[in-house]
Amino acid sequence: MTNMNYAQHEHHDFLNASAEALADPTLQKALVRLTDTLMAGNRKGYAALADSSDLRDHAKRIKEHTLAHLDEYLVQLEMSVHKLGGKVHWAATAEEARKIVVAIAQAAKCRHAVKSKSMTSEEIHLNPALEKAGVEVTETDFGEYIIQVAGERPSHLVAPAVHHTRESVARVLSQHLGETLSDDPKALAMVGRRVLREKFRRADLGITGANFAVAETGTIVLVTNEGNGRLTTTVPRVHVAIMGIEKVIPRFNDLPVFLKLLARAATGQTLSVYTTIITGPRQPGEVDGPEEFHLVLLDNGRSKVLATPFRESLQCIRCGACLNACPVYRRIGGHAYGGVYSGPIGSILTPLFDSVAENPHLPHVSSLCGACQAACPVKINIPHMLIGLRELQHAHKPSRLERWAYQLWSMVLCRPRLYHWAIWAARVILGRRAKAGWIDQMPGPGAEWTKIRDFPAPAAMPFRERWKELS
Amino acid sequence: MSSREAFLTRVKQAVADGNRAGAVPSLPERAGVGYQGAGSDPVQRFIAELANAGGKGYVVSDVDAVMQTIQSIVQAHNARRILLSRGGLIDQFALPHKLKDAGFDVQTLDDMQANPQEDFFHADIGITNVHRLIAETGTVVMASQPNEPRSVSLLPPVHICLAERSQILPDLFNLFDLFSPTATPDRSLPPSCLTLITGPSKTGDIELKLVTGVHGPGELHVIVCG
Repeated sequence: MTNMNYAQHEHHDFLNASAEALADPTLQKALVRLTDTLMAGNRKGYAALADSSDLRDHAKRIKEHTLAHLDEYLVQLEMSVHKLGGKVHWAATAEEARKIVVAIAQAAKCRHAVKSKSMTSEEIHLNPALEKAGVEVTETDFGEYIIQVAGERPSHLVAPAVHHTRESVARVLSQHLGETLSDDPKALAMVGRRVLREKFRRADLGITGANFAVAETGTIVLVTNEGNGRLTTTVPRVHVAIMGIEKVIPRFNDLPVFLKLLARAATGQTLSVYTTIITGPRQPGEVDGPEEFHLVLLDNGRSKVLATPFRESLQCIRCGACLNACPVYRRIGGHAYGGVYSGPIGSILTPLFDSVAENPHLPHVSSLCGACQAACPVKINIPHMLIGLRELQHAHKPSRLERWAYQLWSMVLCRPRLYHWAIWAARVILGRRAKAGWIDQMPGPGAEWTKIRDFPAPAAMPFRERWKELS
Repeated sequence: MSSREAFLTRVKQAVADGNRAGAVPSLPERAGVGYQGAGSDPVQRFIAELANAGGKGYVVSDVDAVMQTIQSIVQAHNARRILLSRGGLIDQFALPHKLKDAGFDVQTLDDMQANPQEDFFHADIGITNVHRLIAETGTVVMASQPNEPRSVSLLPPVHICLAERSQILPDLFNLFDLFSPTATPDRSLPPSCLTLITGPSKTGDIELKLVTGVHGPGELHVIVCG
């Protein structure tokens, strides 16, 4: 690994973090391998399902409907979970959510927590709070475990440790476990199995997210390929699931609509290896499974988004397809985005959940090519919302230079003679700097542009003159 | 106002603020959208999809063939402890008895103490019945209940399961209809844990290199009888 510091950067450092990512050949190679493989799976997955486009429309309409009645479905979900003997907790903020989980752990005298991969728990920074309360927390998704040991954040929704190589994983785990490990992926995964089995064996608290929750039955669904979601909900005596409020869907038989799409969009699998569908705690006579079931419903900015035209972003089912499709993500990876959620959907969610003003670059981290929307299982119009955020940003902080530039531009455009003169002058001045059709150094404020990419040279003959010749 | 009421009031207000007049969609009916089915031969489709997912399927006609298949898997792994769930084909074929007679260290749910966790963790092979199979995706469906603990299909490194031909459903949608209050008014409630297993446990977390068995069983064998 040439540079791992970008993992610790905060969102304000977007430009530096992305420059570091671009300069890291190992990361570049890993990103190409990951995103090419997963995107090929995405296309194959949709193609293999005869009417996948109709099914995606259907899934989108279910989400639209649910979000338009979200308060009612949350109340129904609560009622269903209570009927099963589970408990529902309402967390308006990340801080409230942390307090709730810590209180559950303390009331049940839990000391050893195992966690199945959950972006929501990343979002609320749960682990430090539990550790402060004396609860040991272990990430059990193998990729999450690697980055927990390395002290980093996930860099992809479904492949959190994509920025690591087999050598760096061997180094990180060898150091942590005090053994010398080979860098064979199979051998390393078996070391993971051995170490994490011990953690599971003594775990008394299982913490998960929820890919979906069903209002009419009180069911939550976990999707994993490794099986850690199953272990987390089988061995410990207490299960806490933390979910964003947008994850609820109305009916039990709406689930297969989303399950058929989720894995296809994410990796091209027809289904992920394990789909765990949990309806309440262990029933009388059963010998395993949790005795207590808690569901934490998290707002943390979601209701704010629900009231705006950005509501569509809450339809996201976190498959990661937009990341894999995005020409920007494919170059800079997940850490450069700074937030918990990266890629195109992260460029929308992070400013909305966090602050538009504090994340000035994110809405611009896109060429608006639309590949994200084409890959999305619920066809979220991501480019449209990025443009919306740019507008919002403008309302927040109009840059003086930009304002002047546009005033000057409109003044020139309103005066045809001045416009012709300006075009002629620009052509002469820029034409002198052009080499083989490109300009690599612009004068004045244009230098900012050419610092990071070339500018196309002006045409030898402008369109106006060619038009005259044609007519 | 309690935090719950404040929470719901806020969501309710946000819903109202964000809903555009005339643009609030009703809950859509799926009709036939997305239904794949299993084609003319569900058994063959199941076995093929299971193989795609990395599992191994066997179609056998009698109990002797079942025993032979199990024995060859057990021997290939040099397995010592075999864990069995209860009821269904396992009881019908008297598997615990037959495996004991064949000289294996067999552990049934009846043999276990009040806290069976240690037994679950130590087994080399877990043998279960299934709730259903899904042909479209090659999926084994497990439903938790006293006779079918979650651990038997999860903790041992090898999972063998027994199914009848009649347990095969064509499509994923068929499974969810079984438990759906909307689709089937007199349905049974979903079990505390319904698990869909599609192939052996997989990870690609290191350089996208596929490794099986990191948490769940590294091998999945499905024996379809009849």
